[in-house]
Amino acid sequence: MIVKAEDFISFLIKYQKESLGGFQQVIVPGKLKNVETDQQLFTEISDKTDVVLDSYRTIDPLRALFYFSRETLLPADKAKKRLIVGAKGCDMAAFQVLDKALINEDFIDPVYQAWREQTTIISTDCTEIGDSCHCVLVKGKPYTDQNYDMNLSAINGNYLITVGSKKGEELLKIMKDTISLAQPHGNEKETIKKNRKAIEEKLKQQNSKYIRSEEYGNLRKSDIEGWIEDSKQCIGCGGCTNICPTCYCIIIDDETTGKEFVKVRSYDSCQLHGYAKVAGGDSPRPKMYQRFRNRYLCKFDYMKSNFDLIGCTGCGRCIDVCAGEIEFREVVQKNMQLPKVQE
Amino acid sequence: MAQANPYEVIAVEIYEIIEESPTIRTLRVKPEKPIPFKTGQFIELTIPNIGEGPFTPSSSHSISDKMDITIMKTGFVTEYIHKTKVGDRIGIRGPYGTHYPIDEWRGKDVLIMGGGVGMAPTRSLFTSLLHDIDNYNSITFLAGARTPNDMIYKQHIQGWREIDKVNFLRSVDRVPEVEEWSEEVCLITKLLDKININPKDNPVVVCGPPIMMKFGTLDLLKYGYAEKDIYLSMEKKMYCGIGHCRHCVIGKYYACKDGPVFTYDKILNEENIWE
Repeated sequence: MIVKAEDFISFLIKYQKESLGGFQQVIVPGKLKNVETDQQLFTEISDKTDVVLDSYRTIDPLRALFYFSRETLLPADKAKKRLIVGAKGCDMAAFQVLDKALINEDFIDPVYQAWREQTTIISTDCTEIGDSCHCVLVKGKPYTDQNYDMNLSAINGNYLITVGSKKGEELLKIMKDTISLAQPHGNEKETIKKNRKAIEEKLKQQNSKYIRSEEYGNLRKSDIEGWIEDSKQCIGCGGCTNICPTCYCIIIDDETTGKEFVKVRSYDSCQLHGYAKVAGGDSPRPKMYQRFRNRYLCKFDYMKSNFDLIGCTGCGRCIDVCAGEIEFREVVQKNMQLPKVQE
Repeated sequence: MAQANPYEVIAVEIYEIIEESPTIRTLRVKPEKPIPFKTGQFIELTIPNIGEGPFTPSSSHSISDKMDITIMKTGFVTEYIHKTKVGDRIGIRGPYGTHYPIDEWRGKDVLIMGGGVGMAPTRSLFTSLLHDIDNYNSITFLAGARTPNDMIYKQHIQGWREIDKVNFLRSVDRVPEVEEWSEEVCLITKLLDKININPKDNPVVVCGPPIMMKFGTLDLLKYGYAEKDIYLSMEKKMYCGIGHCRHCVIGKYYACKDGPVFTYDKILNEENIWE
């Protein structure tokens, strides 16, 4: 089915206002006001929102809408039924890591699971690329071809709708009752394929100088001196992990004041000094370069062992956020290339 | 099968407190409902509105309606644990992690090395083995502490030493002038020279401060123990206990889920395991 872009956005506003389908919230990438940037933030839609469904990924990771900076685990916070529109390939890919980490056969994070269940996600194809975008270096794509509820591909002021799940089907039903949808002419898929290819090519070109092998096991063998050098610009602020779509490290606090026990989780960062420090003061990574290196090993080595996936989806947010202007791609590439050192 | 909410806390009441040493005390608690565990597994102990920390019970796993937890005052939460009183209501979640595979050890000579507060998990192991002692060939317990005053479980030693098949040796690093001691004065690892060691296919358990774990392990290898037979209690920062917070990772392993009990062969190639 095809929907006109402007019709779709008015539908979203109506959806939010009238709680169609029992949804309590519609979240879209919105343009920032009074700030010089081409980037968006996820925001609850209103008449005043400058909605940007296409372009490239938002400043904030989608993860932050499923795993908030602070949530109560016991008694578990309830999740709202909601619709998120405009998720990009890099953020969608991150769910593969997060779902394995937080909803597994051993233990389930009750709040993350609730948000996953209560949310319908509409992904959209990237139509632009950001300077730090590099999904193509990690086998990612600037569009979503799996695990979406509904996907929209922009085509001449319209969107081609693809349904990917039962939730997506239900949403389409509501859309059919609310706005006019047209049948595709037949050549749209071809055009979309071409558009997607063009964006992919742009990304490949932008990242050609960062191409590396996929032997990520090499990272841990790379010379420590190199890591020390690379980490000199790092101030250990933890911005990179807080904005990463796959990072999920947390601390658990006890906030019990009455008879019922209360457990709250908040973000933590492996870049912070006290992160792995145990009572008594011992720490496996007391030095900044060790913590800096740990993030790379975690993403490309440990997570690969844990989930059979690497923990980087190529969104590039850690590059944008870095106060030390560290070029993540360069660090990975460099440490993949260094001669192997005897352990 | 995953639990409904892995953070569920069971309230427990402190019914007795034993001051083991100037910095170590044992809380004896009664949970509102039984907390079955296997020896070597750990729990998260909650002090309401203060925080929680991972501890391995020090009582036998054959008892689930009561639990002993031996705790050293060494940080923020343990500071408060040392201020608790009999009758206080605190909380426990868990148990979590791996245990000592004591059923596989039947018929064997079991060697246990517990240093300092590391005697706590090994006391749980030891008493769990005692419960079923007919099925083991022998149990040797080497206990170490810095000074005689730091040695814990003093009140139990006499009884344990009277049990057949049990050999219980203790050493302290040094004896301050004001303290008395009639047993060994040496590093715990030196006690290995004083016992009959039969390393072939027999298990040895090491639990104590990192430096003791490290040199204990290296000595045991010299004595001929196989890497796969050396069981280490790797206590890292086990914050969530369920593999979700990543604080305790040792390379690709979670100390809380894949451990805390690891055999040395499994982790020897990981980085900074002793820190």
